[in-house]
Amino acid sequence: MKLLNIKNTLAIIFLVFFASCGSKLDINSSPNTATAVSPDLLFNYALTAWSSNRTGGDSYIPFALLSQNQASAGNYGWGKGNVYDISPFSTGNTWRGYYATSGNNFQLAIKQAESAKSVNNNAAAQCKILLANMMFEATTIWGDIPFSEAWKTEISYPKFDAQPDVFAGILDLLDKAIAQIDVNSVLKIGNYDLLYKGDMVKWKKYATSLKFKVLMTMVDKDPTKATQIGQLLSAGGMIDNGSADVLYPYTTESGKENPKFKVLKQYAGGANLFFFCNNNIFKYMAPLNDPRIPVYFDNGPTASIINSVETEDDGDDNTASINVHTLFKADAPDLIYTYQEQLFFQAEAYARGLGVAVDLAKADLLYKMGISEAMTYYKINSNASANYLAAVPSLTTTANPVLEIHKQQWIDLLDRPQEAFLQWRRSGPEGSEFPQLVQPAGTPAGGFLRRWDYPQSAEIIPNTNAPKTTITFTTKLWFDL
Amino acid sequence: MRKIALLLLTVFIILTNVLGQNRAITGKVVNEQGGAIPNASIIIKGSNSGTTTKTDGSFLISVPVAAKTLVITSLNFVDQQVNINDKNDISVSMVPSNKVLNEVVVTAIGITRSSKSLGYSVATIKGDEITKARETNIVNALAGKISGVRVTGQSGTVGGGSKVVIRGTSSLSGSPQPLFVIDGLPLDNSSPGNTFGNGSVDYGNRAGDINSDDVETITVLKGAAATALYGSRGKNGAIVITTKKGSRRATAAVTVNSSYRFDNALKLPKFQNEYSNGNYGVYSLKFVNGWGPKISDVQDVTVKDFKGDSVTLKAFPDNVKNFYQRGISAINTVSVAGGSENTDYRLSLGNTDQTSIVPGSKLSRYNINLNAGRTFNDKLSARTTVSYIRTTSVGRPTQSANDPNVLTASTLFPRTLDLDKLRNNYVDPITGAQIALSSDKTGNNPYWIINNNQNNNELDRVVGNVILSYKPLSWLTISDNLGTDFYNEFRRTKTRKGTFGQLDGAFTLNQIYNNNVNNDLIATAEKKNIIKNLDLKVIVGNNYFQNSFRSLGVSAQNLTVDNLYTLGNAATKDPTNYFQRNSLVGIFGDIGLSYKNYAFINVTGRNDWNSSLPKNNRSYFYPSVSGSFVFTELMNKSNILNFGKIRAGYANVGSGTDPYSLDFTYTPATSYFVQYGLNGTFPTAGGLLGFSGPGQLPNVNLKPQNQASVEAGAELRFFDSRIQLEATYYKTKTTDQIIGIEVPLSTGYFTKSINAGSITNKGLEIDLRLQPVRNLRGFSWNIDLNFNKNKQLVDELSAGLQSYTLNSAYSGLVIKASPGQTFGIWGVDWLRDPSGNIVINQSTGLRQTKADVRLGDMFPEWTMGINNTFSYKGLSLSGLIDIRQGGVMYSGTVVGLRTSGLAYETLANRGQVFVDKGVYKTSDGKYLQNTIPVQSMQDYWQQNFQGSNTVANVFDASYVKLREIRFSYQIPLGFKTKKFVKGAEVGVEARNLLILKSYVPHVDPEVNVFGPNQIGEGVEYYNVPSTRSVGMNLRLSF
Repeated sequence: MKLLNIKNTLAIIFLVFFASCGSKLDINSSPNTATAVSPDLLFNYALTAWSSNRTGGDSYIPFALLSQNQASAGNYGWGKGNVYDISPFSTGNTWRGYYATSGNNFQLAIKQAESAKSVNNNAAAQCKILLANMMFEATTIWGDIPFSEAWKTEISYPKFDAQPDVFAGILDLLDKAIAQIDVNSVLKIGNYDLLYKGDMVKWKKYATSLKFKVLMTMVDKDPTKATQIGQLLSAGGMIDNGSADVLYPYTTESGKENPKFKVLKQYAGGANLFFFCNNNIFKYMAPLNDPRIPVYFDNGPTASIINSVETEDDGDDNTASINVHTLFKADAPDLIYTYQEQLFFQAEAYARGLGVAVDLAKADLLYKMGISEAMTYYKINSNASANYLAAVPSLTTTANPVLEIHKQQWIDLLDRPQEAFLQWRRSGPEGSEFPQLVQPAGTPAGGFLRRWDYPQSAEIIPNTNAPKTTITFTTKLWFDL
Repeated sequence: MRKIALLLLTVFIILTNVLGQNRAITGKVVNEQGGAIPNASIIIKGSNSGTTTKTDGSFLISVPVAAKTLVITSLNFVDQQVNINDKNDISVSMVPSNKVLNEVVVTAIGITRSSKSLGYSVATIKGDEITKARETNIVNALAGKISGVRVTGQSGTVGGGSKVVIRGTSSLSGSPQPLFVIDGLPLDNSSPGNTFGNGSVDYGNRAGDINSDDVETITVLKGAAATALYGSRGKNGAIVITTKKGSRRATAAVTVNSSYRFDNALKLPKFQNEYSNGNYGVYSLKFVNGWGPKISDVQDVTVKDFKGDSVTLKAFPDNVKNFYQRGISAINTVSVAGGSENTDYRLSLGNTDQTSIVPGSKLSRYNINLNAGRTFNDKLSARTTVSYIRTTSVGRPTQSANDPNVLTASTLFPRTLDLDKLRNNYVDPITGAQIALSSDKTGNNPYWIINNNQNNNELDRVVGNVILSYKPLSWLTISDNLGTDFYNEFRRTKTRKGTFGQLDGAFTLNQIYNNNVNNDLIATAEKKNIIKNLDLKVIVGNNYFQNSFRSLGVSAQNLTVDNLYTLGNAATKDPTNYFQRNSLVGIFGDIGLSYKNYAFINVTGRNDWNSSLPKNNRSYFYPSVSGSFVFTELMNKSNILNFGKIRAGYANVGSGTDPYSLDFTYTPATSYFVQYGLNGTFPTAGGLLGFSGPGQLPNVNLKPQNQASVEAGAELRFFDSRIQLEATYYKTKTTDQIIGIEVPLSTGYFTKSINAGSITNKGLEIDLRLQPVRNLRGFSWNIDLNFNKNKQLVDELSAGLQSYTLNSAYSGLVIKASPGQTFGIWGVDWLRDPSGNIVINQSTGLRQTKADVRLGDMFPEWTMGINNTFSYKGLSLSGLIDIRQGGVMYSGTVVGLRTSGLAYETLANRGQVFVDKGVYKTSDGKYLQNTIPVQSMQDYWQQNFQGSNTVANVFDASYVKLREIRFSYQIPLGFKTKKFVKGAEVGVEARNLLILKSYVPHVDPEVNVFGPNQIGEGVEYYNVPSTRSVGMNLRLSF
């Protein structure tokens, strides 16, 4: 009897246990994550991640030093080293941003927007435009990159498209985005759009301007692009005032400051001990006493004037640093595209006759509007601005008007090292770029850096379709003559 | 609720002491030399009742009037039966069991088996071994003592973590550590947050909470054959801890074990003391380094020091040494144990108080442990063990880099820094602001950090279980072991306003809750002579295990009021929370046959249902078989080989993955990545949130990971057991590993979850015990040697995958797996010509480099421990040497010391023309000997030896260490004293005494910045120096 009871008890225990076994095991749905979210949230994450790379130590700093528009001041400042030795973290993290952290989230957002019950075309367009801008950056850093086969879960090993095909793909993506924009629709990324707060008119201008920039980058290698440049110049619809500048905002709130400021905050007590006034830019600003000088630079602690250094030369207490109260302040925005940049491109097109007849008067007008816009952006007072405009040469009389435009582009891009690097490469064929640089001290003989190495571990090694031969960093990209 | 009521009832019954109608017998159990044998078992023949001897060998047992015989058993001694007759005092002299091993060991699921019946290798460490020179982290007590078991300390942080790995790392993912079990209950050994990252803090590993004094034995089950019944959780082996119990029918015995030790840094850097701080020979306060002028050259000038005083430069050779203080460890345990006819109890209170060698850092731990058992009748018995642990610590140092609170500066003091002055002048008396070491305020004054910016934690933990045993029939036992192990930990880090790098101040709060629930229901049927001479034992069981983990944290910045760390005082607050739960249901069976007590075979099977796997694949079955044969039982008695056993085992084990890794989901982002540890936080400007898709493409078709292992071994004893040899060969192959393989980022994902990869660990374990002198007029000498050679090999990764990143540190250093090799440290190597010469840059004279090169094995080739024990009557002296051969280590501290020109070796060639040995490549591709000098030795060290030149800072990690020395003396007690004090022993103990051989300059080759549950060893980044500990121990029993 007793044994029977025990048997029964055991049987009951086993039964109870296994009856509830399923429910004990069906606990594998995460309470920490969501199975679906709106495109707004993915957009904000992707955009923020992209901007933080542009302004952080993986991109801003290496581009500032390799393009030589800022100086390290050697061991006095950021530290001496081979500035062409780009850390695999820089290449890896930047690539990761373009394809995964930002790129894939834009793609997921596009998918969510286009597959929603009420298709959110504007949201899809907003994501496509930023994706296009990112891929433009990627191809101007690396040349041939995965594009047509990227972000497709069914393709494990995306092929690398040739740079002209990537440019074509970017232009196509922008056209699609422009076509998709419906300025009257309330469906869009509005509040979560930190660039334009959902102003789809501005988005259209930005997309068109970006097309213009792509074509201006392609045109030296592929002169047929001049036609499209001409069409865009006559059609207009590009960024036409400073309020359409593409600026990612940072704030003074801890954790939300511009990453370049955070480098100084964390490692230099909030002072700029790392980045200095490079001779390669100062020598073009000093002769006309460019009013941007005090905005751009701060005197060295023991100096009363601005003293510049070569890219890797040791600085001292007399060396001027990049101004921590303006360009490197906590709430300095990330400049993604500006009106002055647009004006200089247009000036260049007229000065060179790209898709339009050479028109130096028109070029001069645009060129001066560009300078004026740059002054406005940096809050230069109108007198100083007017004096400077009066002092710069007129493109109609100067011997080399294109060079003067490049000079202004170079000066304007001090705080945009990646764009400065692109500008230098597209400013002329090898040996005739503006400015004429010399290789920074410590870099291996053999020529200027013109591209970054592909990230090995994150792409080249795992991708069976990736180019396996090492391309030296002195090898020019397709667009670079 | 019912479970809790049952637990309370059991505890209540156990504590109710019922006395029977019996008579008392006292006695003593001694060895042939008259020495006391503690913990010998005294059982009344024909019953389950009994007691054990105390430390002085004495016992008190209450026997029924009708009882006739006592059975006395003890490890390594022949069982004895003693007739009681009318005696009230029985002394028993035990004979060593030279012929037969009667050791009983605890195996999986708490099953006790005789050692000789095991078809696999187990090792047991007795409590005595652990409590003599107690480690505050019990895991460290295993170091160097057991073959195949490798222990690595993380740092010298008080309460810091230690990692234990048995028979090599077998997986590409997940924790490599074994399962810890205490009294049948899986013990949590997690170490949340102990991972490599910016500003990592070593919060220890949770097995370190156990009080060594409560431990009766530690049994190490090394292979899967031994742990098969634990299922998935035992795939990395198991460490089974059995806690001490009271003796039945014994009056309350009080034991006090008290240690007081002093700690100091085991190894500190060797500094140059000739050059001051500066740049290229010019003094400058901007630099915290040794690249300034030669001190002797500038005695005629005065310069400003950090405080602004005008001083003549002078070296302070001991400034770093003096920064560290003398650490003190006080470890005390008081226990009371005893029992009545049917009950036993042991209650202990332990306290560990440690003051670190880092000023301002200390730890305090209390352990309360109760172990009580009761036999209700012939059929029903119960036992419960409950531990409460409270650990509090203050000032755990911040390690690694990219955090303002890392104590980098304390290692990198300029040689001219007057430490006393710094200690007394870290705050400006007028402004209250921090006085920095350097004029540009790039780093923090270490005294500012240790006095203001502390990492504190408080942990409350309860580990408890109840075992009910019911024996309805003489051959059947049904038992249930229900237990829980949960802890609540609160962590706080503070960064005071005015800290460079975080001028506005910040703090973080973290609340961690972890809970394990485990139930094992087991039925055991035992039948002797089912056929002639053949005994059968069948075990069937059911296991349920659940782990829940919850964390809630807030990171707060921008403080308004100084020194007030409350959320209302912070302008920015970023909260995070996380929860996860996974469960496992298993049924298992074990059939054991033994023939004539010399041939044994065991077959086990277990089926697990794992919540982390897809429904279709979450059930998996795995078998094991093992056998042993004591062949000497069939031979004529021999004096040469007095015992011989061979054994072999095969086991297969499956395992699951992390919870929630199957669905495609979107994660709310709390931060976004920015290089140099400068991550930004969500929401962004305007209070906007961000979500991100997964980085890993999930896989809904995952299968369980599979591990197959075989082992074969022999246990031989020669010359009356003066030579005891145990050797085991094993091979473990882990396949279908659940890993996130790297996919090209252009797919949009970092990794893809798949089943792939195969890793083999092959190895040899040898344990040799020699007794050159056995009781020669009271003198004995024992040598214990253990040796393990483990070869881990990655057979394959996924098709086409050439390497798999397991972990990564700063500046391109990664830990990777690659086919045909063991896990290795990869990074930047020197660029070399075809003959292996380093290629030199002709414009600078500096070395050229090449990325992504394998620089060495992470694991040692072999390890060995040698322990010598000399004993003479009550005196005992022993010393343990721990040897590691092979593997490499990267030191971030060495990077700092060399690039800053503070290391002794940076003195060489200063101010002279130096041409580095190497070649340069001519334009026509030839390599010629380098003739270009470096521009300065500062460039040479700063450029060539920078952190991102991994190879320059990777060293052979082999070492020989004097791990432990202990001396103990049993104080002979007079008859009168004995009335009050039953036993007294004093000892001198030293741990981590010396590094006898090392190839790593400046730091201990053993410290490691990766957490115990991470795959990753051999990387150091400003870890707190490990400590040497010397002190006294006193053990008294009353």
